[in-house]
Amino acid sequence: MTPGGMSRPTRWTRRVRLAPLGVRLLLASLLLVIVLLPLAGFGLTYNFRQSATASFDSRLESQLNALLAGIQVDNLGRRLQLNRSLGDARFDRVYSGWYWQITDGDDLMLTSRSLWDQRLPVPAHDNGVNVYAVDGPRNEGLRMIERDIRLPGHANEIHVALAGSTRELDREVGRFERLLIMSLATFGVLLLAGLALQMRWGLAPLRRMSANLRAVEEGEAERLDTQLPAELKELALAMNSVLERDRRLIERGRAAAGNLAHALKTPVSVLKTLSERFPAEQRQPINTELARIDDAVRHHLARASAAGGAAFSGRVSIAKAIEPVVQGLARLAQRRGLRFESYVDPLAAARIDPQDLQELTGNLLENALRWAEGEVSLTVRQVDQGVRLRVEDDGPGMTQAQSEAALARGVRLDARGSGSGSGGSGLGLAIVEDLMALYGGTLRLERADLGGLAADVWLPVSPVSPHGDPAPGGT
Amino acid sequence: MKVLLVEDDAALAKALGDALRDAGLLVEATATGREADYLVRTERYDTVILDLGLPDGDGTRWLSQWREDGIDLPVLVLTARERWSDKAAGFSAGADDYVVKPFETAEVLFRLRALVRRSHGRAHPVIRIGELTLDTHSGSVTLAGRPITLTAQESRLLSYLMHASPRIVSRAELAEHVYNRDHEPDSNVIDVQISRLRRKFGRGRIETLRGQGYRLVDLEAQA
Repeated sequence: MTPGGMSRPTRWTRRVRLAPLGVRLLLASLLLVIVLLPLAGFGLTYNFRQSATASFDSRLESQLNALLAGIQVDNLGRRLQLNRSLGDARFDRVYSGWYWQITDGDDLMLTSRSLWDQRLPVPAHDNGVNVYAVDGPRNEGLRMIERDIRLPGHANEIHVALAGSTRELDREVGRFERLLIMSLATFGVLLLAGLALQMRWGLAPLRRMSANLRAVEEGEAERLDTQLPAELKELALAMNSVLERDRRLIERGRAAAGNLAHALKTPVSVLKTLSERFPAEQRQPINTELARIDDAVRHHLARASAAGGAAFSGRVSIAKAIEPVVQGLARLAQRRGLRFESYVDPLAAARIDPQDLQELTGNLLENALRWAEGEVSLTVRQVDQGVRLRVEDDGPGMTQAQSEAALARGVRLDARGSGSGSGGSGLGLAIVEDLMALYGGTLRLERADLGGLAADVWLPVSPVSPHGDPAPGGT
Repeated sequence: MKVLLVEDDAALAKALGDALRDAGLLVEATATGREADYLVRTERYDTVILDLGLPDGDGTRWLSQWREDGIDLPVLVLTARERWSDKAAGFSAGADDYVVKPFETAEVLFRLRALVRRSHGRAHPVIRIGELTLDTHSGSVTLAGRPITLTAQESRLLSYLMHASPRIVSRAELAEHVYNRDHEPDSNVIDVQISRLRRKFGRGRIETLRGQGYRLVDLEAQA
């Protein structure tokens, strides 16, 4: 067998196996209708033909009896005659389809006028009344009833046959069949429509559940609705507890990472402060190691925080989510004597965890506030398929090489000298990059209109891959 | 500059306290929010360094209480928290600035000095009164471009007067802001130190207003 021949049935069976429930049920009932209705049709037609034939035969038999009753033997015992007519004109019309004949051995004794010069075939037969289907004159299909009788005063057994055309019988059966097919077809269509309706109604809770699931996935609902039929209710409850556990696990992960970070930071602060008492050449390696600890803690904390973010986040209003951060930093900017301008489109919205959004905005603004000479600006606009968030400052800006370095994890940018005392690291931007990877957004660093650095973030309205993993940890 | 350090981790409180003292600041430390609350309400500080994770309640809780009660001294928040939602909570509670752990002493100093400067309405890091200048970051003082050497105590005294200038500063205020609460001086000590300062850059620069206190004046502007 060719590989193509192998794969086609497999693909087909797979498609059938994976077909939606509605389609499966509809296919099954279609199959049922296609098989059962014709079967019923055949059965009914067969029975009808049987019973119509039986009643035809009994008509033939009564006519045969009438014929037999009219047969007389003449006084000589040689000739037969019919002493009364059968009262049916069809036996007198030539080739009317209704015939009788009386024979004595091979000798023809009497026939109906309708038979004209033809003869009815006389098959080999048993005693008693027999009915056959035979071909009559002009190859017309006939049903023939015949029997042998012995007449008083006649030496030989004579054979009497009476035949009627099956034309009418066929016509009657045909009419019945047409009617039956029409009825069955109508019935089939109604049945399928009914089944489809039944399925729609029956599967409605499933559809509701799947819409519900989508809503949960898109963050529009927290849990599945459990107002469902018993079987599904159980499923929904189970799903809910899985969702709940998932959330709890994420929360616990976040909390654990947070606690660990929290616990590590104070001792690191102590070591850092203590190391400042050492001469510079001794301080340097200690600080490098402390920075590594700090970077690792921050990186993994940020990752843990961001990990569950996209999975269940719904559309959030950007303005509402970042308001506390913007307000807090506006206050900070004012305290630091910096001008802070912000425009946030009140309608801008995207599917992002509010905490992640705060992280994003906070880190970008913090960076800008650290470097700005006198002014920082934030603009958030809804653009085609996404949201653009731009933070500018009037600080020294960055060269191409610096921008690239800034995006690399763990590169420290606080080379501003101890005069400013701005401790901190490029990690703010690295976290922003992590978030971009998680949500499928982009971060660009360029020259700002204000003169310094502009960080330009584009976030899709819906994340491309909500379960994506943030950039791999370099440290 | 007199600072209240509210930090529950003893090791960090000691390390940071020592580092700040080395930089010439007057540091008082406490490990609980309750004591900090008491001190803030009874003592005078130029600024408070407040750790958010305290054993007796979140730092932001104390902070917002102070702000509600009209205590508006500058507060620098020390936080180990990374989440911006937490930092934002600190701001809305009334923090003036923050430093994230682990920090460098230099950054804490930088933020503290800026806070204090601004609480006196001064935006520029170098305070210039006539020919006398004070670089608030380095703490160096020059007179007509020549550096002047000062003891830690003298430096704090002069720094406070310069920040406040041309406001009159009472002896009590000076005592509270420049000296440790355990070693509060009698007015004699202050007089002695003032006269030492006068010797270093001329009599007329620090005026004594009887019954009111001292005032640093811009001699060059008066001339």
